[in-house]
Amino acid sequence: MFAYLIRRVLYVIPISFGVTVLVFALVHMAPGDPLSAVVPPDAPEEMVQELRKAYGFDKPLPIQYATWLSRVLIGDLGVSVARGRKVTDELTIAVPNTFILAVGGTLLGFTLGAFFGGVAGYFQGRWIDKLATAIAITGISVPHYWLGIVLVIIFSVEMNVLPSFGMGPGGSTAWQWNAENIKHLVLPLITLSVIPMGIITRTVRATVAEILNQEFVQALHAKGLLTYQVLLHVVKNAAPTTLAVMGLQLGYLLGGSILVETVFQWPGTGSLLNSAIFERDLPLLQGTILILAMFFVLLNLLVDIVQSAIDPRMVR
Amino acid sequence: MSRRALDKNQQATVDSAQVAVQSRGYWATVLMRLGQDKVTLVCGAVLLTIILSAVFADAIALVDPYKANMLKRLKPIGTPGFPLGGDEMGRDMLTRLLYGGRLSLFMGVTPVVLALGIGGLLGLVAGFMGGRVNMLIMRVMDVFYAFPSVLLAVAISGALGAGVGNAIVSMTLVFIPPLTRVTESVTTQIRNLDYVEAARASGAGNLIIIRVHVLSNVLGPVFIYATSLISVSIILASGLSFLGLGTEPPEPEWGLMLNTLRQSIYVNPWVAALPGAMIFFTSITFNLLSDGVRSAMDVRL
Amino acid sequence: MNSICKRLRHLPRIIAATAAVAVVAGSLTVSNSARAGGTLRVGMTAADIPLSWGQPDQGFEGFRFMGLMLYDALINWDMSSADKASGLIPGLAENWEVNPNDKTKWTFKLRQGAKFHDGSEFDADAVLWNFDRLFDKNAPQYSARMASLVNFRIPSLVYDAGSNTKGWKKIDKYTVEFTTKAPDSFFPYQICYILLSSPAQFDKTGKDWNKFALNPSGTGPWKLVKIVPRERAEFVPFKEHWDASRQPKLDKVITIPIPDPNARTAALLSGQVDWIEAPAPDAIPKLKERGMVISSNLYPHIWSWHLSRVEGSPWNDVRVRKAANLAIDRAGVKALLGGYAIEAKGHVSPADPWFGTPSFELKYDPAAAKKLMKEAGYGPGNPLQVKIMISASGSGQMLPLPMNEYIQQNLKEIGIDVEFEVMEWQSLLDRWRSGAQSKQAQGAHGINVSYTTQDPYSSFTRFLRCDLHAPSGVNWGYHCNKEIDELLKNASLAFDSKERDRWIAKLHTIEVDQALFIWVVHDVAPRGMTTKVKGFVQARNWFQSLTPVHME
Repeated sequence: MFAYLIRRVLYVIPISFGVTVLVFALVHMAPGDPLSAVVPPDAPEEMVQELRKAYGFDKPLPIQYATWLSRVLIGDLGVSVARGRKVTDELTIAVPNTFILAVGGTLLGFTLGAFFGGVAGYFQGRWIDKLATAIAITGISVPHYWLGIVLVIIFSVEMNVLPSFGMGPGGSTAWQWNAENIKHLVLPLITLSVIPMGIITRTVRATVAEILNQEFVQALHAKGLLTYQVLLHVVKNAAPTTLAVMGLQLGYLLGGSILVETVFQWPGTGSLLNSAIFERDLPLLQGTILILAMFFVLLNLLVDIVQSAIDPRMVR
Repeated sequence: MSRRALDKNQQATVDSAQVAVQSRGYWATVLMRLGQDKVTLVCGAVLLTIILSAVFADAIALVDPYKANMLKRLKPIGTPGFPLGGDEMGRDMLTRLLYGGRLSLFMGVTPVVLALGIGGLLGLVAGFMGGRVNMLIMRVMDVFYAFPSVLLAVAISGALGAGVGNAIVSMTLVFIPPLTRVTESVTTQIRNLDYVEAARASGAGNLIIIRVHVLSNVLGPVFIYATSLISVSIILASGLSFLGLGTEPPEPEWGLMLNTLRQSIYVNPWVAALPGAMIFFTSITFNLLSDGVRSAMDVRL
Repeated sequence: MNSICKRLRHLPRIIAATAAVAVVAGSLTVSNSARAGGTLRVGMTAADIPLSWGQPDQGFEGFRFMGLMLYDALINWDMSSADKASGLIPGLAENWEVNPNDKTKWTFKLRQGAKFHDGSEFDADAVLWNFDRLFDKNAPQYSARMASLVNFRIPSLVYDAGSNTKGWKKIDKYTVEFTTKAPDSFFPYQICYILLSSPAQFDKTGKDWNKFALNPSGTGPWKLVKIVPRERAEFVPFKEHWDASRQPKLDKVITIPIPDPNARTAALLSGQVDWIEAPAPDAIPKLKERGMVISSNLYPHIWSWHLSRVEGSPWNDVRVRKAANLAIDRAGVKALLGGYAIEAKGHVSPADPWFGTPSFELKYDPAAAKKLMKEAGYGPGNPLQVKIMISASGSGQMLPLPMNEYIQQNLKEIGIDVEFEVMEWQSLLDRWRSGAQSKQAQGAHGINVSYTTQDPYSSFTRFLRCDLHAPSGVNWGYHCNKEIDELLKNASLAFDSKERDRWIAKLHTIEVDQALFIWVVHDVAPRGMTTKVKGFVQARNWFQSLTPVHME
């Protein structure tokens, strides 16, 4: 078991290396000049060449990769071409903002999902089960960014009770856990939690149903054991898989929040990605994707460790 | 082997594959169960209607989906000649939705099919050959797996640029790792079964073993797993178009239509909501259908 | 009795709790609206806060909501009136004149007593320092990025990188002399884009432009007090601003980037901002229905198709060019934009002193257009096929897709079949820079980029002068006409503004009579704002001033 853990942790190293190669390749296969988006149309060619040299875009790709990697290893993610700010500075602001959304979305999704799923699994086959399952399937079938737009129209534009964009009246750096700021969190959180809610409901339902259908549980029930003890048993057995799914969902939300952040102009990593793509800001794009992927790698590691700790059979 | 465990869907696929190998009347049972599941049958019918209407859009539609008519911009539902209203360029919404179905379904199904082919092949090879080949293939998959799917799709699309072809490439790359993984798991399990071992021992060539025993038993369950990815693919494709990375104007496609109709939400909200409704309905029927087939195949429930 | 006493004991705590709840409830109900009378929140179309270090990015919106708020140039624009053309007025230079004996030399007399936000004095040294910032690579304040943002706007200024010869010289503490490469009367129009940052502040912030950007200092009417990248910038009035007529009335301005037009509209309707730039035309009826005010005015902008005059281009026939111009139903395009456009009669509007007296009138006359096409050899059985490059969005492009499709319909009626190549805004600008003969153009016959007509070089010279085609300039279509070149030269040598305007008017007359572009409409820069926003004067300029604005 210990050997497995060590191997699993060490495995992160080649994966991370592979990730850096993939990120670099992805970003640099983009056609077009990396500077053309940020230099005004009338700028003369020598000026553009000078800038290109300043950013190192004139060197061959493998050298650019090596330079970038060596800097990443000491924590320097480069400088954004479009804004002149350090990529690490941009991410320092954006990552916590996305964390707030992602963690909140996962928690909300998990709470609703566990509730709906538990109820559905317990009352298998009855109408409650069908209703809960319908809600879950709706959650994963609706284009959530579109749901976000609709919510904005209803609650911001028409009813004027919730704000339509942004992270707070003072901007994200002035974030506090007070009513004013939490109002800004409501709609994006609901929008983001829809898919995790659906997935977790289905997972919990399947797990709960499976456990309840085990013969010995039915035997326990027949013996007249209190329902709550059965429930405890169910929770204990459903926990590992559900936690694993929740962990993965957190990872997906961290990396996949771009659509919701675009709709709500939430100043997180998704918005950074969006502007980096359209402004062809290679350093920012590389840095952001790398950090998000690394979070996911570490999250996977955590999930694997927790899963194998809870259920040694899961070790492969 | 230090690798993350399969998720619930994938595990169910692997399990059902095992059973499929072992019992003969299995598929007959599956069909019978399906016949009794009304919800799944209805979904199947609805889906068939959506697909057929998209395929035969030429026959059903009355007008050209590209023909703009500025005087008919954002006309409400029920305007004569525009049964579902006019879009922001005055094109008939019904026609655009029908033709849009083509591109949306195409972008939903094609990446999954391609990923099934490529990923399935890779998984088969990895599962069957084992050893170093297996390690090489699965490790490379792990690197791709290190990215959350939306991030990977957006990053690849962002790099390649907008366009249907680029979006399909990017989504195929996103779906290959999970399909490889499932296929590899299933193949490994089947390969290790007693009677396959026996076949090998008796001198049967690898190709024959693959064709006769492995392929037929792997394909079914993996195929069903793939269909559950279709609804994800449709929504992902529409999301890419929404960001400006997928289909480009003036092609009709539901995700792109959602994007271009955003501005019109104040003038004609119902028309602006139609493409979203189409994505929702198609996605939900795919989901329910694949759920239904999977539960018919699941011997444990 | 005892139980009542017991309960009364809790009374103070209950009162305190109720009071606390009341206070919290009260603060909850105060929505995120402005401090009464004082704060204006603006939703911009830019994707990010424009650079605050001197020369802004984000195009002209960067000047509007950052550059010209914090800084002045030697020559400023007159933004005080909505009813007349907006011209140049003294900025940090009180007057300027060309040396009558050597017309490549300009003497600028600087304003005395003007202060930067950090308290330091403005003088000739500051001017030289700022020009070094853009050209002299050896200067510690040199910034390649800033240079790339603005140097192309002052092509006439002398600077030789090899010998470090500079076209700017100090005469005395308040006098600077500039040298141009050749006599050029358009020079003042170029100088107005160079914004002057404080050298003292640069030294104070450790000679680092990125640090300067967080704590900028200029001579403009506003000071930057807070900046959250990508989210907001906050400005307060600079009480010691040198121009008494431009003292800000507001307590604070907050600018917020909201690039999506839909989100901007929602932001105004939900009360999160008080003012938005460029609302989506489709949303304007809704804004009005909710009581918002839409401010608009003519300004030097033209939406047109820039035509290729390369060998073999169908647009080389003046009859085809005229026919296309007569085929367009400009009133229909205006209706598409909800009425927020002005039908074009030329490259500039008839109200402009540069309009001249063209005899060819731009109007909707399909019959005349068809006749011209017939004369040119085209007809129903022999339509003309053209390919035009357009974008789906972009600054100043208005609603490119609906507008272009409408024009495509119009042109089809007279026998011109248009095929569009739709691309992203930045890609379109790339193609624009590379010219009609480049590989990227792929045989396109026209390109749809909207233009400023605020100064003569930008309006005419850069598109029409024979030598300014790619890669030296943006004469995308390789237009060449000796007569027009001659007129351009005369205009650039006419140092009396009335004389210069006459030459340009002659030039424009020929331009229209030869239908050199396909002109459609002028934008009117609609802006949405709540009724609480008072005092705004929308000048006929790409730039605007927020100083007279106050909140009710």
